[in-house]
Amino acid sequence: MYWTENANPFDELHALQREMNRLFNGYDERTTLSRFPALNIWGDQEKMVVTAELPGMEPENIDIQVVENQLTLKGERPSDEPAEDAVCHRCERDAGTFTRTIRLPFAIESDKVTATYTNGILTLTLPRLEASKPKQIEINVG
Amino acid sequence: MKPTQQETALKKKEAQPMAPVKDRPEYIPATDIYEKEDAILVRCDMPGVAQENVDIQLEHNELKITGTQSEESVENLDRLATEYDQGVFRRTFEVPHQIDRDQIEAKLRNGVLDIVLPKAEEAKPRKIEITTGE
Repeated sequence: MYWTENANPFDELHALQREMNRLFNGYDERTTLSRFPALNIWGDQEKMVVTAELPGMEPENIDIQVVENQLTLKGERPSDEPAEDAVCHRCERDAGTFTRTIRLPFAIESDKVTATYTNGILTLTLPRLEASKPKQIEINVG
Repeated sequence: MKPTQQETALKKKEAQPMAPVKDRPEYIPATDIYEKEDAILVRCDMPGVAQENVDIQLEHNELKITGTQSEESVENLDRLATEYDQGVFRRTFEVPHQIDRDQIEAKLRNGVLDIVLPKAEEAKPRKIEITTGE
């Protein structure tokens, strides 16, 4: 059987262009290869929230490690080929292992990190280590 | 001079030739297509798409897949790094004619969409027996 992409060919080109722009925006040369999974990061003085795009994983195959201010995500996406007699007409989805480490602005209370995995998005909530929080010093008037 | 209503309408049309959905970026989902003896399996990566935001349409022989990613928002926190946006996954495939349209099944799990298109009876491979002509 024959599969063709039926849309206007320019749709595909425009989408490709957007994808390339997205890939290269803000990327520095040294780390481009290690930037999987893509992360979004939010934070304030008290905690950080990190989300990662990781479709098709099982939660038990995602390994999350926090050491002081360093967060490491490791995992493996196994190949999910349906059966050995299946013929692949298009194989674009990758399988394999990944590791990504990021440095956060402050040390993390590693016992209190929570992680959820919904619809292929991993969300981590990382509270700041109590001892690393800034302390207000009172000035005693002599 | 005030443009007539028709002219305004025309200008609006010219301004948005591709008609993107609410200015959100559009992505092509990475897709595997497998063919088995009795069915075709289309598998797309769609992280961040909830089941109610997937739209699959088979019109004539065009299979249109649309998945809208849920907006990510974290209240009261500053955005520090953004490596991916929430957009719309969109892709169209031409499917062969011999598909049993009533039996198409789709499911979404952990951000991966599976669509099973069973082949119609007449399209399944058939073993032809040779009879000895005696």
